Amino acid sequence: MHTDTQVRKPGGRREDQRRIGGILQRVYDEVVRQGVPDRFKELLDQFDKTKEVSEAGTASSQGQAEGRREP
Amino acid sequence: MMMRSSVRDAMLAAVPSLRAFAISLCGNVDRADDLVQETLLRAMANIDSFQPGTNMPAWLFTILRNLFRSEYRKRRREVEDTDGTYAETLKSQPEQHSRVEFDEFRAALAKLPPDQREALILVGASGFSCEEAAAICDCAVGTVKSRVHRARIRLSKLLSINGTDDYGPDHTTRGILSAGGRS
Repeated sequence: MHTDTQVRKPGGRREDQRRIGGILQRVYDEVVRQGVPDRFKELLDQFDKTKEVSEAGTASSQGQAEGRREP
Repeated sequence: MMMRSSVRDAMLAAVPSLRAFAISLCGNVDRADDLVQETLLRAMANIDSFQPGTNMPAWLFTILRNLFRSEYRKRRREVEDTDGTYAETLKSQPEQHSRVEFDEFRAALAKLPPDQREALILVGASGFSCEEAAAICDCAVGTVKSRVHRARIRLSKLLSINGTDDYGPDHTTRGILSAGGRS
């Protein structure tokens, strides 16, 4: 026996929303699949390095890293 | 320290979705990437205000959304010019058959009011719960739900998907009420 708890009419609201949801997800995922562009990898790598350097206490290349030493 | 690199990895992992959100918001890849860049810079500068163990993507999305909002207010006129620039930047995409559909969809998305657009993307594509989206947008959960609902109704009208004549104002109002009412 079939139990049609959710009857979907063709062209009904539910079907429309399903389609819109599907396109939205695909449009979004198309960008997500491009991954992380190099400029952001480099940016975050710099952040990492800056922190490491300031921990070693020899920060000079990144001016802002100076003056944040541990007492 | 150990914590730094895990924070960095968490930020890195959020970048693809952050870009998709930014592009959906402003409809222009270059500006979206600038927005992501500014978001990351701001996040790094304020990393002390991030609580380890909490939701990194939600934190970054909040920063980006606020940046976009303040920029949007400044450059309201330019935002109209979305369709053309978008098509330009994604010209190299291989899936030609879905391009038309995508372009149509993006153009329709650009016509939504910003608050509806961001709510729809956060809940419908980024995978945030309505509660998380409400925190990101700094509004009530019910507000998010009704914005998402109105965005979907509006989109189906704009895309003139079949049967749109069914959506009279009464249907819409009832939908919003029921969507917002369910806690």
